[in-house]
Amino acid sequence: MAHQKKIKVLLAQFPLETHSRGIITVAGMLKDAGMEVVLMGNALPEQIIETAVQEYVDVVGISTYCGGELALASDLMKAAEKEGIKERTVFLLGGIFPPGNAPKLKEIGFSDTFLAATKEEIVSSIENALVSKKSIS
Amino acid sequence: MDGEKTTKEILKEKTPKERLPLYNPEALREIEKKFDTWKNTVVREQDRKNWEVTPHTILGSELPRELLYTPVSNPDFDYTKDLGYSGEEPYTRGIHPNMYRGRVFTMRQLSGAGSPEEVNHRLKFLLEHGATGTNLALDLATVQMFDSDEPEAKGQVATVGVPIDCVEDMEVIYKDIPLDKISASIVTHYPRNTAILFPMYLVVAERRGIPWDKLPGSVQNDFIMEEVVRSASEYIPPKDDFRIQCDNIEFLRKNVPLWNYITLNGYNLREWGTSGITEMAVAVANAIEILKEMTRRGYDVDWVAERLAFFWAPANDFFEEVARLRAVRRLWYRIMKYRFGATKSRSMWMRCHVQTSGVSLFREEPMNNVIRSAYHALAAILGGAQSLHVDSFDEAYSVPSEEASLLSLRTQQIIQAETQVTQVVDPLGGSFYVESLTNEIEVKILDEIDEIERMGSIVEAVASGWLNNKVARHIQQEQKMIADGDIKVVGMNYFRDPNLKLPEVLVHEYDENIGKQMRDKLARLRQRRDNEKASNCLNALKQACKRGDNVMDYTLECARADVTKGEMRRAFVEAFGLWKSPIYV
Repeated sequence: MAHQKKIKVLLAQFPLETHSRGIITVAGMLKDAGMEVVLMGNALPEQIIETAVQEYVDVVGISTYCGGELALASDLMKAAEKEGIKERTVFLLGGIFPPGNAPKLKEIGFSDTFLAATKEEIVSSIENALVSKKSIS
Repeated sequence: MDGEKTTKEILKEKTPKERLPLYNPEALREIEKKFDTWKNTVVREQDRKNWEVTPHTILGSELPRELLYTPVSNPDFDYTKDLGYSGEEPYTRGIHPNMYRGRVFTMRQLSGAGSPEEVNHRLKFLLEHGATGTNLALDLATVQMFDSDEPEAKGQVATVGVPIDCVEDMEVIYKDIPLDKISASIVTHYPRNTAILFPMYLVVAERRGIPWDKLPGSVQNDFIMEEVVRSASEYIPPKDDFRIQCDNIEFLRKNVPLWNYITLNGYNLREWGTSGITEMAVAVANAIEILKEMTRRGYDVDWVAERLAFFWAPANDFFEEVARLRAVRRLWYRIMKYRFGATKSRSMWMRCHVQTSGVSLFREEPMNNVIRSAYHALAAILGGAQSLHVDSFDEAYSVPSEEASLLSLRTQQIIQAETQVTQVVDPLGGSFYVESLTNEIEVKILDEIDEIERMGSIVEAVASGWLNNKVARHIQQEQKMIADGDIKVVGMNYFRDPNLKLPEVLVHEYDENIGKQMRDKLARLRQRRDNEKASNCLNALKQACKRGDNVMDYTLECARADVTKGEMRRAFVEAFGLWKSPIYV
């Protein structure tokens, strides 16, 4: 798939998440794949969306490990809807979380969730999701 | 003081030069001659060509290894100066004369999540069943110093540990537990949460009439954990956090003399993603900076150092792990004796707790992790660790199950009671290979300490982003090496079963009720307490931060006035301002 401009990705974690090995690893993978990565670090859902708007990103990736992801991801989606970026932005979530939450996360608007994934899997997930977003809008 | 000289320069100057080599020169020449003949005639050409091989392992040092080690690998070996006897200088062979015959390594497994009431029951249950100390894990809001009713705490109160907002919670957790008899480990990773939470523990003791000088236990209190290893939404500048670390040490050493005021945490730094060399260099560089600061504040180095403790992560490269523990023990002795002029043996001891590496464990065929952790644990014991936690085989993807936790304890017990490795002190001492590797690693650690000190100090090395970015590069490079198969992981990228089924991920479901209880409790507290007094105490804390007074004198007053942890966190931020942790990708 040919892109006119680099895919821009915002990577963030919810406020209390203390683990960052995953997000740093994924940041490196996406950069390797030619994407532009904004590594935001920890923030409230509303702050993550605010940055997504300012940076005009195509993708928001959330790294989670410590739990509470469902409640916070719902807040994230509400904020995205309020700011009007939910439809055009691809949302991904990866890390350790109860697998039973995966369908719920997709239901509220995440295009994919990962318990573990290779660089190729993440990149193709992003590209496919962007294609389907564009065909809708 | 020694002014601008680095630790390496000081050691080079002050370490006694005269040596008494063990091997006689004639024998060495003979060995070398035979070795050359053997290498050139018996050893296959391809082995000769690849004489040195660099092992690629997760978190490894990438130090090349020869095919065979002989006395010629370490011709200058001086038994008394390099090894000596256990319990004697230079402590290479261990800090106690009889090591594990005298005292079995402590089997310390961390546990406990839930409300303060539930955790109190759990601690009492463990004590009734033979535990000799308590080990308290905090929930993430408490670790990151947010009150249970702040928006940041949403959805995470009482997960992975217990929430503590104020003295009242601390009172509930330690209800009916004799604080002067039972040693308490409180896993406050950071200087700031140590400054905030530990005084709450002191107030509990005070209200029960237990003198502080009778309290045994430990906190972590490591500024590397707060500024580098953790990921957070708020950081105060490294120099201010380092100061709080030292304020805590000063206060605890003076007022709570039995307390281990710091655990220099190499473990979490290495597990985040760095080699075993950097793990030790950073922790030791922090220890050096602490002792310099405490000396500057006018304290005797022996008085300060006797309660220093370290925390290490043994990973896959077995002999490297044994050698690392021996190397850092000797290096610490040399630093204390020759850099700081310590005179008491206890302050020259590198005492350490060890936890087996979690990052080395995988979700693919998880029972393989049992084998990996057992090797990690064995290396720690052959290296002379004081205390051990063995990771559970399901840790790569779950909160450890009861079965997995029990197997971890059993791993320790089998090493201790069945393998007989604990009968003989430092059993690998004298191995040509292990002694060479020990020497090499000691040099590498000291070289990296030197690199850090040339940036100013460990504080500047953190502030400049050097450490953050070293780790970020390591993580990304290591991931590529695993993806490319350069680092072999059995069952994952090496001999992977084509029909592999991954085990299910089991995570605790979140119980929203505890969050609500904690929020209600805070609302009642803010009604009940003298709010003017609380706000005066907070103001006094802010002023003390700015003036440079010891912060713990003031967080103690805050605790007495029922100030909450989130309020104290904000006071620190208001006084010191925020700093952005530099990671570039």
